[in-house]
Amino acid sequence: MRHVRAFGAFWYDFLVGDRWELFLGPLAALLLVRVLVWVGVPGAVTSIVLFLLVAGTGAISVGWILRQVRRGSA
Amino acid sequence: MVLVTVLSSFLAAAVEFVEAVTIVLAVGVTRQWRSALIGTLAAVGLLVLLVGAFGTAIALLVPIVVLRLVVGGFLLIYGLQWLTRAVLRAGGATARHDEAAIFEREVTALRDEPPVPPVGMDWISFTVAFKGVLLEGLEVAFIVVSFGASANLLGPAALGAGAAGFVVLVIAALVHRPLAQVPENGLKFAVGVMLTTFGTFWAGEGVGIEWPASDAAILALLAGYVAIALVGVAVVRARVPERRGHSAAAAESG
Repeated sequence: MRHVRAFGAFWYDFLVGDRWELFLGPLAALLLVRVLVWVGVPGAVTSIVLFLLVAGTGAISVGWILRQVRRGSA
Repeated sequence: MVLVTVLSSFLAAAVEFVEAVTIVLAVGVTRQWRSALIGTLAAVGLLVLLVGAFGTAIALLVPIVVLRLVVGGFLLIYGLQWLTRAVLRAGGATARHDEAAIFEREVTALRDEPPVPPVGMDWISFTVAFKGVLLEGLEVAFIVVSFGASANLLGPAALGAGAAGFVVLVIAALVHRPLAQVPENGLKFAVGVMLTTFGTFWAGEGVGIEWPASDAAILALLAGYVAIALVGVAVVRARVPERRGHSAAAAESG
């Protein structure tokens, strides 16, 4: 059981760590784009939407860290 | 695609191997080279087994659409983590990776350990080297398996990583000190952009996107992420000018 917990903790730290928004953001983006594809939105639009959502997630995360740094807590 | 796969795994592996070499050098210089090298070889052997077993099993057993969605999603998440950290470092908001400082830290920590036994194996040297190489190498293994399986190019991906390991080891053996001159932060920026690009492309295919211009869309994604990341660096730099000195002392964020 201890090894299973350690294995899970390793993967959690590896993929989520202290930046949960970079884990959930891309997943939410893919889910939304899946819905858009399902309702028939063309590839030219869904591809741009996915790119913008991923880039937006990165920008939000950088903004949060930057705010912490400016407050002196990072 | 073969060349891009080799290049991506080469760059990613080079960064991680530079970090692993710093730990092995610290152990070898402070304690015992023989045990440190045996620990390194044991970790490399385990990593080769993991890549071979998981890479082959995933490529053979998982349908390509599922593979691209799941593995592409992981690559996207992982790549975005690398890229945002690289942007923050390049902009001066977090400390840059400094191999010389890490080496000094490792050496200091190792000096507090019990003395090296006069004969036989030094298990502290073995364990520290094994753990360091395995942990850094697991990230390489993850990238090689993800890249190799998604593009069905496990061989070229492993070749790129192996070549990086060879080059880093040869340079380390020649200079015999931490590879502080390697532009590690620039490499991490490049790898972050590549992983995010391919992660987006493959995960996008996995959710059913029909990319305009097919594979050529990768170039557009790459250009787009590079442009946004450079804008991000400029914005970060503009927001933290007065704190750059303080920030450089902040904890390294990976």
